[in-house]
Amino acid sequence: MAEVRLLVLDPSGLHTRPAARFVKTASRFASRILIHEDGREADAKSLIALLGLTIRPMSEITLSADGPDADEALAALTAELAPFVSPAG
Amino acid sequence: MVGLVLISHSEMLVDGLRDMVAQVAGEDVAVATAGGTDDGRLGTSAPRIAAAIRSTLDATAGDVVVLLDLGSAALSLELAIEDLDPADQARVRISEAPLVEGAILAAVAASVDGSIDEVMAAAAGAATITKLPRS
Repeated sequence: MAEVRLLVLDPSGLHTRPAARFVKTASRFASRILIHEDGREADAKSLIALLGLTIRPMSEITLSADGPDADEALAALTAELAPFVSPAG
Repeated sequence: MVGLVLISHSEMLVDGLRDMVAQVAGEDVAVATAGGTDDGRLGTSAPRIAAAIRSTLDATAGDVVVLLDLGSAALSLELAIEDLDPADQARVRISEAPLVEGAILAAVAASVDGSIDEVMAAAAGAATITKLPRS
C-alpha cells in the first residue's frame, strides 16, 4: 500500500470542481484509493463520498492506494491536486 | 456512456444547471434539458420533455437518467415516456434525486463510464449529501 500526505491550501478547501476532476482521475486506476481526513475516509472514486468529507482549507489529508497501479495512481492524483495542496510535513 | 435529461418548470434553471454539469463533469456526457412551457412560461411540457429524452437517446449509445423538479414535472414526464417507443422506454430511468445536486453527481459518475446503476446510485446520494463543513 502506498500513501502520500498533503496539506489542503486552497481557501475553498477541496471544492466541487477539483473534487470532480480528482474522482475522474482516480477512476482511471484499478487500485483501491482512499482519501483520509481527520479519522474519516472516503472512496476517491466517489464524488458523493469525497464531498461528504467537506474538507476545509489547512486540513491534512492522506491519500492511500492499494493495488497493481498504486504508485502511478498516487502520482497522478498528487499532480491533479497540485494547485490546491502542498506536501504535508 | 449514460446520458442525462434535466427537467424543470424553469428554462433558466435547467440551462444554468447544464452549464454547471458541463463544467464539473466535462463535455463528454450527453445532457438535454426541458424547462418551462412552449410559450416560455414557468411550467412543464410533455412534448418538450419527450424531445429532450429523444435528443439524449440519440446522442449516446448508453441509457438515460432523467432528473426532474417538483409537482407536474412528474405528470408531464409520464406522458412524454408514454410517447416513446418501447425500445426507447427500456433505456430510460427516472431518478428521485434532488435536481441540482443529483444532476452533478450523476454526470460525474457517467463521465467515468459508470453503469446505469452506478449513475442512479450517485444521483440518489444527493438526497443525503453533507454540505456544511463540520463545525
